[in-house]
Amino acid sequence: MRVLREFESAGLEYVLIGAAAMGFHGLVRATQDLDLFVRPTPQNIEKLRAALRVAYQGDPSIDEISTADLLGDYPAVRYVPPAGDLYFDIMTRLGEVASFETIDAEVKEVDGTEVRVATPAALYRLKKGTVRAQDHIDAAVLRERFSLTDED
Amino acid sequence: MRIDLAVQKFRSIEEMNKAPDPNAGDADAAANFERFLRHCARWWAIAPKHYPRGVFKFRTLEEAQKARDTYLPLK
Repeated sequence: MRVLREFESAGLEYVLIGAAAMGFHGLVRATQDLDLFVRPTPQNIEKLRAALRVAYQGDPSIDEISTADLLGDYPAVRYVPPAGDLYFDIMTRLGEVASFETIDAEVKEVDGTEVRVATPAALYRLKKGTVRAQDHIDAAVLRERFSLTDED
Repeated sequence: MRIDLAVQKFRSIEEMNKAPDPNAGDADAAANFERFLRHCARWWAIAPKHYPRGVFKFRTLEEAQKARDTYLPLK
């Protein structure tokens, strides 16, 4: 929650996806990571680093989250903070399937903090096409809970 | 929808499986997220894993997922 507050304070443009986003929609399962898409601009990546530096008290490895990587050959970057109980999968695009701009999102409020969360339909679209078994389960749960169809 | 029945009865496993999750779809996003955090905290306590600290970069999501599969349970 502290990190999400720092994201808002920094003005980071992001969309939460994955299990945390499903949790916001009432579909709760455990996870070890927080998945998010960020708007792929140098300014926004700097906001991401700034927010993480505050949340994790200047962990020097945050400087390795590189704009050149995220905007170039490495659209997925994993940051494991010193605490180690939760890590972040930070993405700018997912092949040709998805990017920050293409994911439908809605704003949820938690303890006065606004969190931008992918819609159930957007999560379903992300998950139904992957090869990971857990994603297939998630897609099935989303489909049933929100009466989604193949057109969604 | 939230079902406040403490006890529900079913005539079969199939009937039970079709029953809605009593906690699913709570309209309050904050309550949902709080429940998610509690659930994760319990899971981390029961099954902690060793994650290498720092920043790791991947060309594809598949690469990232493969790396995740190598993380070991904490002994």
